Amino acid sequence: MNDNDQEGLDFSTVLASTVHDMKNSLTLMMQSWAQWIERLPPELAQSGERGVIEYESLRLNGMLMQMLGLYKLQLNALPLRPDWVEVDDLLQAQLARHSEILQARQISSSYSIEHDELLHFMDEELISSVIANVINNSIRYTRTAIHLHAAQEDGQLMILVSDDGQGYPADMLGRYNTGARDADVTQSSTGLGLYFGQCIARLHQRNGRHGYIELSNGGQLGGGEFRLYLP
Amino acid sequence: MIEYNNKRFLIVDDFTDFRSALTGMLRQMGVAHIDAAVNGEEALALCRKHTYDVILHDYNLGKGKNGQQVLEELHHDKLLSPHCIFIIISAESSQAMVMAALECEPDSYLTKPFNLASLQQRLDKLIAMKTVLHPVLDAQMRADHMAVLEACAAVIAAHPRYAPQCRRHQVTALAALGRRQDQERLLRSLISERPLPWALVALADLLRESGQLDHALTLYQDGIRQFPLIPALYDGLAATELARGNHEEAQQHLQQGLRISPNSLQRQERMGQIAQRNNDHEQAARAFRQAVDLGRNSLFRNPDNHLNLASSLTAQAGDGALGQRAVAEIRQTLGELDKTWRDDPALSVRSRLMQARTLDKSGHATEARRLAEQVAADVAQLESFFDAEVALQVAGQLRDLDQAGSADAVLATCAEMYGDDPEVLADIARHTDNPDILAAGSQALEWNRQAIRLYQQKNYAEALQRFRQALASQPRNISFALNTAQSLLRLIAADPKPELLAECERCLQQADGMPSNDHRRERYRKLRERLEQL
Repeated sequence: MNDNDQEGLDFSTVLASTVHDMKNSLTLMMQSWAQWIERLPPELAQSGERGVIEYESLRLNGMLMQMLGLYKLQLNALPLRPDWVEVDDLLQAQLARHSEILQARQISSSYSIEHDELLHFMDEELISSVIANVINNSIRYTRTAIHLHAAQEDGQLMILVSDDGQGYPADMLGRYNTGARDADVTQSSTGLGLYFGQCIARLHQRNGRHGYIELSNGGQLGGGEFRLYLP
Repeated sequence: MIEYNNKRFLIVDDFTDFRSALTGMLRQMGVAHIDAAVNGEEALALCRKHTYDVILHDYNLGKGKNGQQVLEELHHDKLLSPHCIFIIISAESSQAMVMAALECEPDSYLTKPFNLASLQQRLDKLIAMKTVLHPVLDAQMRADHMAVLEACAAVIAAHPRYAPQCRRHQVTALAALGRRQDQERLLRSLISERPLPWALVALADLLRESGQLDHALTLYQDGIRQFPLIPALYDGLAATELARGNHEEAQQHLQQGLRISPNSLQRQERMGQIAQRNNDHEQAARAFRQAVDLGRNSLFRNPDNHLNLASSLTAQAGDGALGQRAVAEIRQTLGELDKTWRDDPALSVRSRLMQARTLDKSGHATEARRLAEQVAADVAQLESFFDAEVALQVAGQLRDLDQAGSADAVLATCAEMYGDDPEVLADIARHTDNPDILAAGSQALEWNRQAIRLYQQKNYAEALQRFRQALASQPRNISFALNTAQSLLRLIAADPKPELLAECERCLQQADGMPSNDHRRERYRKLRERLEQL
């Protein structure tokens, strides 16, 4: 940090506590908005602005959560609380979280799973937030559909988020941290989201094997495909 | 599809808008029966009247009880069936709050805002799970632990997705059955599969409780390396160090646990006690202050925390005079104590002794003596008495305030009631050399010893004679009263003479004078039950 800083102000701490307040503010705004919408006549409630407001609030919320998460990660203070998680339940919950926006934008959503009783050991909350952020991103770039898929591959859990958009830029493809260029964290929220995803995946480890993320194009729906691997 | 129209819901939230939004969502899901409460007291009252399938409880309800405190109270008063789904809802995401909410282990946790689809998805899943686990939960409710194990095995075979939940129930059932080896084996196999945090904590706790302190220590440390933010691991580490006599280390570990999850009353209480022992009065005062705060709406509020806060503040001043600020805080703390536990004369004695001490240490020696004299007079009139530890404390305080006669009387009563316990007698000996106090019960003790021998030889009639002698000599002794009652019950079983029944009743009434936290309460309860069954 800045040695000349006479006040001893640690900017990242200030930022984190401000982000925390921002998140609480945003929550209150979203709650009030939901209640207001309830009272509006349907023709006003169903306007196009509604979708924009709701989508952007969710995006904002996701970004703020990511910033807090990254801050804690840096301090080694991000609590990892793993347990056995029902994978189908995890996928359903992520789609449910975005159901209004998907509907408003007429994006069809679906999920599939290798077998129904699939369990995996992970921190449900952290992995949920990674998947939610990827879905949120896909909503911006897809044309008509988003599909989630989970399967076991080589003793690891693989979670896929595919869409039918234009796909990721060619130089971002491949396993994160090994490709020609990773998404630039400073350039876009997509980059920050992927960086966060990679950090969370890496936190999951088993017998020296770490989790990771990977991007590809083509995939199940022909567009971009995000893959998360957990050991 | 889950049928919601036959399910009974309770919503607890202080915001009208949120209550109506949530009610709206539930109606869309087809829920017909929805009750609502605006605070914890209302929620508890409703739970006394009705059985709910689902309770959606906001964590932070402003001034009153929070979600955690309501959940604790529901568990304690056995108002929550294991079939009920209790969900904590919260808007805030501060770590302290989330940690506290998680530590009370609700069935689920929802962060505001959430939409209808998310709520329904969560509820569908929880209801499906509780439906499958129904036989397990039913057996648990009957405390039929063997049946829990059988039901778990059946569920794991038919529905492997619920195996993780069943494992927890199995561990609890094995613990209740006292099958420690099986419990340990199961926990070890779970951990060898994956480092499951709760199982790590449970195994380490089990090893610690069975005296394998080194193993426990390694396990806690290993757990902390992998999961540095799980407070229960630090609690366990502190308890282990405490058992090894390393009080300083224990305090440091507890401190780390508190940094992660400060809103736990029990943790703050433990911290205060250890810090007090380590003569770290500043830390003790801080912890007891928090414990008093956290206890304000809690079932687990404990007047000892108020008294300990006052004594830590006094101790902080050392030999010097108390500052104005400390005096004001002590006065306020004791005032709250007096108001909250109004009808407890023994507690009032302790509170006023603390007041007298404060007066003494803030330059009001005359008032201090006057108050101490009043207290000394009241102590002699007490119907219920203190537990041994508190009695010794009270005696010490009385002596410090020049009430030696009263102090001796307290010690004498303590010796009479608890003198059959050699440890207590040794503690008393540290306070006085007076042979009238220390040896008063020795003849009775000898009679009691002889009686126990006779009782073990099944010579109940002669055992009774000796127990009676012991009790007649030390009428306030709890063990003697219980022993007499127990041998009376033996004779009554063979020949239920009304005068024996009456005598047994008198003995038990006498024993009932023991403090509520006395370890013999359970024995008393069992004897009372046996008498009533006759």
